Amino acid sequence: MRFLMLVIVSFFLTNNSLATQLHGGPVCSSCHGQTTARDQVTGCVVCHPGKELIFERAMSRRSGEKSFVERSYARVDSGFWDKNCTSCHLKSCRDCHGTGPVISKPNVAACQKCHKGYYTGGDYSGRAPRENNMRYQRGIAVEGETFLKMLPDVHYTAGMICSACHSMQSLVEGKKSSHVCRNCHRISSNVIEHSIPAHLEKLECYACHSAWGAQEYGTFFLRFRDLRMKVDFDLKPTSSTEYLRSAYLRKQDAPPLGINARGRVSPIRPLFISYYTDIAAARDNGPENSLLAAEWRAWFPHTIQRGSVTCEGCHDNPARFLLEPESRRIYNLQKDGMTLDSFWRQKGQRVVNGSFMSASRYQQISNKSPAYTKAYVKKWKKLLNRDDHSLRP
Amino acid sequence: MLLTALTIVMFSVLTMSCTLTDRNRSACVGCHSALEPASSSHTDCVVCHGGDPQARDKATSHAALRGPANPSTPEDWEEGCGRCHRYQLERVKSTIMQTNQGMIRNIQMTWDGIDNKNYTTGGGKAFDPQGKNIETEPVAQLDNLSGELYRKFCSRCHIGAVNGDSYSAAHASGCAACHFPWNDTATYQGNDKQLRGKAGHSASHAMTALPDTQVCSRCHNRSGRIAYSYQGLHDGNNGLVPTRRGEPGPELASGARNLTHISPDVHFAAGMECIDCHTSRDIMGDGFQYRNMFLQTEIACQDCHGSGRDLPRYRQITRENDEALRESRSYKRSATSGMRMIQTAKGRSYSNVFYQDGTIWLQGKRSGKLHKSKVITATPEHTIAGHERMECYSCHSHTVVQCYGCHTRYDKGKNGMDFIKGEETPGAFSESEDYRTLYPFPLALNQRGRISPVTPGCQTFVTVAEKDGSLSKSEYITRFKRSQQLRFAPFYSHNSTRKAIGCAECHGNPAFLGFGQHIVEGTSITGTLICEQSARKPLDGFLTMNNGTVRAYSAITRENSRPLSGVEVKRALAVNLCLPCHNRAADPIYRKGVNQRALSDARHRQLLSDK
Repeated sequence: MRFLMLVIVSFFLTNNSLATQLHGGPVCSSCHGQTTARDQVTGCVVCHPGKELIFERAMSRRSGEKSFVERSYARVDSGFWDKNCTSCHLKSCRDCHGTGPVISKPNVAACQKCHKGYYTGGDYSGRAPRENNMRYQRGIAVEGETFLKMLPDVHYTAGMICSACHSMQSLVEGKKSSHVCRNCHRISSNVIEHSIPAHLEKLECYACHSAWGAQEYGTFFLRFRDLRMKVDFDLKPTSSTEYLRSAYLRKQDAPPLGINARGRVSPIRPLFISYYTDIAAARDNGPENSLLAAEWRAWFPHTIQRGSVTCEGCHDNPARFLLEPESRRIYNLQKDGMTLDSFWRQKGQRVVNGSFMSASRYQQISNKSPAYTKAYVKKWKKLLNRDDHSLRP
Repeated sequence: MLLTALTIVMFSVLTMSCTLTDRNRSACVGCHSALEPASSSHTDCVVCHGGDPQARDKATSHAALRGPANPSTPEDWEEGCGRCHRYQLERVKSTIMQTNQGMIRNIQMTWDGIDNKNYTTGGGKAFDPQGKNIETEPVAQLDNLSGELYRKFCSRCHIGAVNGDSYSAAHASGCAACHFPWNDTATYQGNDKQLRGKAGHSASHAMTALPDTQVCSRCHNRSGRIAYSYQGLHDGNNGLVPTRRGEPGPELASGARNLTHISPDVHFAAGMECIDCHTSRDIMGDGFQYRNMFLQTEIACQDCHGSGRDLPRYRQITRENDEALRESRSYKRSATSGMRMIQTAKGRSYSNVFYQDGTIWLQGKRSGKLHKSKVITATPEHTIAGHERMECYSCHSHTVVQCYGCHTRYDKGKNGMDFIKGEETPGAFSESEDYRTLYPFPLALNQRGRISPVTPGCQTFVTVAEKDGSLSKSEYITRFKRSQQLRFAPFYSHNSTRKAIGCAECHGNPAFLGFGQHIVEGTSITGTLICEQSARKPLDGFLTMNNGTVRAYSAITRENSRPLSGVEVKRALAVNLCLPCHNRAADPIYRKGVNQRALSDARHRQLLSDK
């Protein structure tokens, strides 16, 4: 028995990991002696000074998320944050840097423990959230979440891990990333879309190159003060026993576009168009489906591909800019008591870190100038592999 | 005189007639005094129901009831409705809603169940559309998984069998399935105190000669869900929100589904009901037994609206036995001799659509409201070269409901209700699903060689659990046309709209050609929503284009139907070279084929050159 334990210990000590390479040399007390609790920060920062600043940043403080809850769900339930939002809180170095005695650099899966579902990160591996009804909860689950299989990001396919662009240092400094697209990619003007100056001046690269983006239209939190009332709601359980979550509609196609904080055209998505029903109160003729926020955010879907949508995907698609004409409206939200006219109309909604594209600006980009026509024809000729000027199939 | 009197007495004794107004003589009325008469011509209880009106106790008087509550049920309809309505009964016996032959056949074809026999719900002899004798086997004998699936899932909507326990989808069997409508909870709510509140009865004892949309909706709410799409209802992602009074909402449907509101069909918005377009022959059959629904259906959009080339056709009523005269007897305005009745695609008269003073009018059969039909023949938008083989609803569908990924599990260790055999037998089905969407939707060639919307039909992944729990099949894709492949079916969603999809919207978005949601790179079109069982094939499409080569990897069900070929795909995409300048459907260049010579002028040469 003693021999077996020795074998196990020696296995860990000789394992080819950072723990053995970097941390196997010093005696145990170099790390553990500094603190009484095994996983606290102080044990690490003796040798890694300054890294504790990460606990002052977004992943730990989550001030953006807290502020959203303050102006939405906390208005109806002051305990909402504690009930629903505490599972993805960075508390210790070991949350990311390995499990057990092994200390390692976080791989993609380590980041996706939190960055999953509707939160950017799962999309990098080609995962989009499934519907909340149990009928749709099928297939493989990762970190307890089933997903729709999507085309993964081209960088993921090439084997790049998150830290290739999001270095530890950049996160410690409170930046979103250490690298942006143009740090690595030179823009070739041989690409038709790149030959259009306005595209390069006014668009984020990922406005075109995000192949898809998860979009949640109408996020519903249903509150059950009496848990027996859950019986008719066959929805996926959440971390809170008091709540169930659902969505009116999910999509994962080319995301809508707006203007981000840099003033550039960027993908935007609902984060969140929030509705709330207190089930017991609603059954007692109280309010239900209360719209608490109709907020969108400019974001960077991690679904990069070399290709993009076709020209009319933006230039002939007003709904993509939340300028949907009434004749093309599909979902009748008013009839279902959901306050908004349409998710794809700007009225009553806002972009918290940017703005929607104005109707006049959209009008401008949808006018077919001679330059547009020329580039458009060139693009379709290329797709059709035409080397002549005929229209023969 | 004596003989006459004797005859009258004999006749009375034999028929033991009992009318609802005949209070003194009838045991029926003694208990059911306030029961509504079925109609002004259906007032005699015993003629329809049988039973003994002279007996004074319930057991004896009810002992010989037909049905027992429903004299139109197939077991009794020969003596029930069939005694007076022989013509209708003979048609209904072979209508597709009774035989379900198409449904059974399609399941066989797509669930590895082909055995070279033809099955119907009850089997038996009938006439095929050519008038030849045919015989089909009862589906109870279809001893494989496809038979099980039909009997335990699909047969709930067969008009020959009662469905008494599905919220909002309950219906009687036989003629009463349509003519004695049930409410959402299958509960009688009429005036008869004996019956009021009892489940398993029509909402009222009053017969409806002309069933409303709700009646059709009780069955046509699964699979294609056309009754929902028509009314502007959508059972989408089953998110159960928004709630209604704290319950799942906003509307509830069978199978714990919730319905949200979408734009309704333009005809529904105008106040038209299902039976305003669909003739009685569409629904009750025409006496011949058809292999599939689309062969029985006799109507088409062009009947009232014309095609690009041909105007609608009409035929004058000249005979006193014209079907239109008989069929329109219950309408607000009956057809009369001399009226010019519009013809269905099969060349038979509508009973409610007529030509008068240069206009085509459709009369709402129940409402009497007159609807003016817009004829599109010879308009520039409808005479586009190449569009002559488009179905109207390829452009005029506002949405097409699409359910992607149908994962069906069959557990041999559990029992499931066999609705045809009427008993629980080993083997139970359960389903899960991947994704639904309404728009955009793919197009392909249908059985008529026309370009039509298609919807998954079906993307079935089969798992079979043996009694010991082991899986003999896991996410198995069945064989269709000799290879394992998923399938799409030609489909009219019944969510049509006046404003057609724009030229650039359709030609510029390869999703309409069957590529699913996608990106374009060089000469490749790549799907972004991927099938779990492949690395690159889209789940929501059936075509890929890789370096210019178009490949189809799903089948379109039905004979002669198929995805567009590579040449057709490129021809459709090539229109984009014209669209930025010629962006109106009415542009004269689209009236004829491409004129290569016209492209040689300086303007086109400059545009089409790569410089």
